[in-house]
Amino acid sequence: MEHKKVKLMTSRNTRYYYLLALLPFVFLVVMYELLPLIMLVIDSFGLDKKPEVRFSLENYQKIFSTLSYQRAIENSLKITLISTVVGIVIAFLGARAAYTSRGKFRSVFLTVLNMTSNFAGVPLAFAYMIILGNAGVIKQIANMYGIGFIQNFDLYTSNGLTMMYIYFQIPLSTLLLIPAFNGIRQEWNEANMLLGGTNTHFWMHVGIPVLLPSLFSTLSVLFANALCAYATAYALLMNNFSLLPVNISASFVGDIKTKPKLGAALSVVMMLIMCVVILINNFITKKTTKWESR
Amino acid sequence: MRKGSKVSSNIIMTLVTVWLLIPLLATIIYSLFEDWTGIIPHGFTLANYQKIFTDTAFLTSMYQTLLVCVIPIVITILVVLLGLFVVTVYFPKLEKYMQILCMIPYTIQGVILSVSILILYAKGDTVLSGRMTMLIGAYCIIILPHIYNGIRNGMRAINMNMLLEAAEMLGESKLKAFFKVIVPNILTGITVSSLLAVGLLFGDYVIIRNLSSSNVNNMQKFLYQAMKRSSAEASAVFVVIMLITFAITAIVLTLQSRSTLEKIRNGGK
Repeated sequence: MEHKKVKLMTSRNTRYYYLLALLPFVFLVVMYELLPLIMLVIDSFGLDKKPEVRFSLENYQKIFSTLSYQRAIENSLKITLISTVVGIVIAFLGARAAYTSRGKFRSVFLTVLNMTSNFAGVPLAFAYMIILGNAGVIKQIANMYGIGFIQNFDLYTSNGLTMMYIYFQIPLSTLLLIPAFNGIRQEWNEANMLLGGTNTHFWMHVGIPVLLPSLFSTLSVLFANALCAYATAYALLMNNFSLLPVNISASFVGDIKTKPKLGAALSVVMMLIMCVVILINNFITKKTTKWESR
Repeated sequence: MRKGSKVSSNIIMTLVTVWLLIPLLATIIYSLFEDWTGIIPHGFTLANYQKIFTDTAFLTSMYQTLLVCVIPIVITILVVLLGLFVVTVYFPKLEKYMQILCMIPYTIQGVILSVSILILYAKGDTVLSGRMTMLIGAYCIIILPHIYNGIRNGMRAINMNMLLEAAEMLGESKLKAFFKVIVPNILTGITVSSLLAVGLLFGDYVIIRNLSSSNVNNMQKFLYQAMKRSSAEASAVFVVIMLITFAITAIVLTLQSRSTLEKIRNGGK
């Protein structure tokens, strides 16, 4: 006991030296994460045309009153929401299928999910151009056999973009949901059947409520993933399609005149959207996990 | 499980698998043939691959990709290891803050991170304003959550304080013991998380586009430019990128399953 006390005393005096080892971490985080973000927020209140103005809300007013910026926000939210909802529905079905089955189908399915989980951005856009672009492989086959809905499908629109976003959401969301399904115990299903419940009963009253927290946290990951995606849209449509990340990048780097202060305000808007989603998610997680502590 | 649900499960899995494989397989086939205008492609060829592997610009982009992946990962691992050591052993109260700082990049992601670094450094003329410095700084931050989680989980899985005390009793300093005893024990976790980070940086397009100058190209940037030139050449670049991505994923999966197996074995003892 005595020995330990002495040791504690000395280590208390020397332990502050160890803070030095924390310095590289602090340096990295301050220089490349915190300071840039703070500068971004400060800059969003400045004006591109009048550098002497330090605080003005003009950028924000402009964003919410100019049609092209409104459209960027609208397009971003629309594509993000559609791809997130469709992604989670397919992921739910896929993860449930993987949960209920064993054997070859399952292992092939899991391998393909893992393989394609990093398939996004420029390569994805390119692959879609090869199959569904104007001279795409599937397009040509459809032309030969007169399959109308593929013939009329235009990849270079928000529909095409939504389709690609759904594509990259599926592997990610399914892989995130599969572990959650393992929390559903076989006995619950047996109990449900003994009490005369159907499969639908089981999923509506037991399965989905148990999965809700995981479903919502997956939803917020998907939302962030789609909202912030840049490369897929840029590789397909360059700056010709209004989306928040595309507009933000274009106001800093590009051939046309850059508008960094306005871009900063757009970035802040995008971060606020993310924060709202995270807050909603936290709120729902708190509500839906209550049963666990009971 | 009932038979009906098993059949429907297999149908769903098959549909999703096919849906996910179509663009991938189609592009691979496309890269191997001269002409694909009907149902069946004609004229098997490896010319596209020959072309890119004799193209110095492509080889340079491969080398530069490797460089901009490895440097940030090494830096981040060292920084997080040191930081987590100090925080968990000496200042447990700071752990919460460190975690928050490491998780922020999850929500800001590439676009916002790259433009905010541009705002802060692009105008200056110190070493911090170098294009390469900005790029590596941004990459360190973008992989921070993964590296942090990997190391943190590894540390949780072993009894770190006990091991450190034992080493101290045997006459080692804690810092030395940390690198001699703890780090080798969590090496699998570090490897897995750095491979995940490689996957992430390897797929990056927006950060390198916004931050690097035009003479620094990673393979994604190269693919984008090749796409504008010729789709035949680009399809070969695409296949090389996908093969590397799959290789990374495969190594991660084997390492992960091996470490779970080990855990099960150790638990059974």
